[in-house]
Amino acid sequence: MTLALTGHGIADGIAIGRAHVAERSEVEIGEYRIDQGEVAHEIERYRQASVAASTQLESLADKLGSESGATASEIIGTHIMMLRDESFNLEIEERIGEELCNAEWALQVQLEHILTEFRHIDDPYIRSRGEDVAQVVRLVQHKLSERTSAVPLKGIPDRLADTLVVASDLTPGELAALHQRGVAGIITEHGSTYSHTAIMASSLNIPAVLGVRLARELLQEGETLVMDGRLGLVYANPNQALLAHYNDAQRRSARHRKALESVRDLPSTTLDGQRVSLQANAERINELEAAVRNGAESVGLYRTEFLFLGAEVPDEEAQYKAYCEALEVLGGRVLTIRTLDLGADKSFEAQTAISTPAAANPALGLRAVRLCLRDTEMFKTQLRAILRTSAHGPVRCLIPMLTNVHEVRMVRALLDEARHELDQRFIPYDKSMPLGGMIEVPAAALSAGDLARHLDFLSVGTNDLLQYALAADRVDEQVAHLYDPQHPGVLQLLQYVVEAAAKREVPVAVCGELAGDRRYIRLLLALGLREFSMHANRLLEAKQIVIQTNVDRARRVLEQWREGHAEAYDLDLLEMIDASQQEQ
Amino acid sequence: MKETRTKIVNRLGLHARAATQLVNCASRFESDIWISLGDRRVNGKSIMGVLTLAATSGSEVLIQAEGDDEAEAAEAVGQLIRNRFGEEE
Repeated sequence: MTLALTGHGIADGIAIGRAHVAERSEVEIGEYRIDQGEVAHEIERYRQASVAASTQLESLADKLGSESGATASEIIGTHIMMLRDESFNLEIEERIGEELCNAEWALQVQLEHILTEFRHIDDPYIRSRGEDVAQVVRLVQHKLSERTSAVPLKGIPDRLADTLVVASDLTPGELAALHQRGVAGIITEHGSTYSHTAIMASSLNIPAVLGVRLARELLQEGETLVMDGRLGLVYANPNQALLAHYNDAQRRSARHRKALESVRDLPSTTLDGQRVSLQANAERINELEAAVRNGAESVGLYRTEFLFLGAEVPDEEAQYKAYCEALEVLGGRVLTIRTLDLGADKSFEAQTAISTPAAANPALGLRAVRLCLRDTEMFKTQLRAILRTSAHGPVRCLIPMLTNVHEVRMVRALLDEARHELDQRFIPYDKSMPLGGMIEVPAAALSAGDLARHLDFLSVGTNDLLQYALAADRVDEQVAHLYDPQHPGVLQLLQYVVEAAAKREVPVAVCGELAGDRRYIRLLLALGLREFSMHANRLLEAKQIVIQTNVDRARRVLEQWREGHAEAYDLDLLEMIDASQQEQ
Repeated sequence: MKETRTKIVNRLGLHARAATQLVNCASRFESDIWISLGDRRVNGKSIMGVLTLAATSGSEVLIQAEGDDEAEAAEAVGQLIRNRFGEEE
């Protein structure tokens, strides 16, 4: 008979395979007394175990490297930091000395003490971090008991393809080890949506259902399991109909992935022959690498804020080095460096190098280029670093949040000064490095033609443009329903920018979240946009849509809808466009 | 001793990623660094301490630094918090 269990579904995906019920080789945590003379030795034993634990996690993080993205290694990084927590280590050592007990026991008592603190935390996400502390402590306890296996789970086969591992709980480290052995899916009794195991499973694309109570008792070794990661369901011993349904669903999802793979090397040209440029938004090196892997033609938006978050404003050399590293990853593709986009909303303190007074309305305050034009020395430092990078490959400079032509003129003047300063130092740069501006302010959108006269390219930042145009913050759930990209006013704005740019023969890209949202790509194509910059993980899906789009048909639907939209406001434009693509 | 008060402005508060950054930042300084919320005070270089502070968005924390580089330390930690730990909004 089929048995169905429920838990928290993590990571879309279906796994079908045999159950392997993992028995945790529980460490017996016994208490024993030590003599005063043994304290130093016990503390040393603790330190060595702790170092061994962090060495193990470090080598795991290395192995995971960039293939699994930042999330997994970040989580393991937090665990390593916990192992090196000086306060925690001091408390353990004091406990050993004062209570004259063994290290394992000191850890256990200290853990319970900390878990009590975590249990009182209201925020469910932060409360879940107690699980991480417990996992880290368990790892050290394993090391103390001199177990050396990377996976403190008993009898795990070397190859886990077609195997679903059922466990009480899995640490991120254990999960990484299972991933390397090709595990098909995981089911645990403990852990929630917020647990790091969940976050990591999702980043590694391992279908997982967590928090399935009594899973190890209810599921039998070797029996067939079907797991639905999206719905959080586990079926043991599924009947034929169920198995057929999920086999089919799995095939469909595999086909989807394969279809995505198959477009990787195709040109991004629409059915009616329109060339579309798919570009990436990126910040970290691993995102740039992913962009190249997924066929980005260029980087349409490289963010630089991360360089400015430390104690000091980065100097020219530090910025130059960072930009060159990014450029190098791209192997000849264009790198569009956006100048600093921080501001009153990410308020700097008055006495720091970058200072802004508290703003009454940060979103409308001193930010992005407005801030840069006030702190011109800082801005010129960044411009010089960008110019110097342009000597090594194709670089463009992008100015965020322009409001009027006057600002563009000021930027141009500062750019000239920066060039002059480099000339005096005999430092080379690309004299024709393109300068572009982001269209995020509605008034700038409506005067895009004037701006384009002074710029080499435009990039529409839809996130801010929509927020300002609709006067609605999409993060505020009270008004999020107003954040509608299909609003006729928004479409008019976008249309206006596209036409103004075309008239001035200046290329225009779209780089907000909308650009990578598969639902909106056809609409944006219909509006005349041909350059889309998005997160690297959206590129393949976007290309899949592009090569299945007849832009001319989509455009005609848009025109019809526009003429009749007052009456047909309830008709879904996106559905109409999609339907037009099916016609013969 | 150098003190500064600041509001937690990033959406998720001092969750793991933010807390990790804070501890990394604090650990770069020689000074002792303390973070307080209400009547709780924790070591700014201790990840477990900072996590159990459970400072959510909107809460105000007190940063105290004591040592040779106390001014820079308090400023750096304060700035990191005000910069939303670099998170997108």
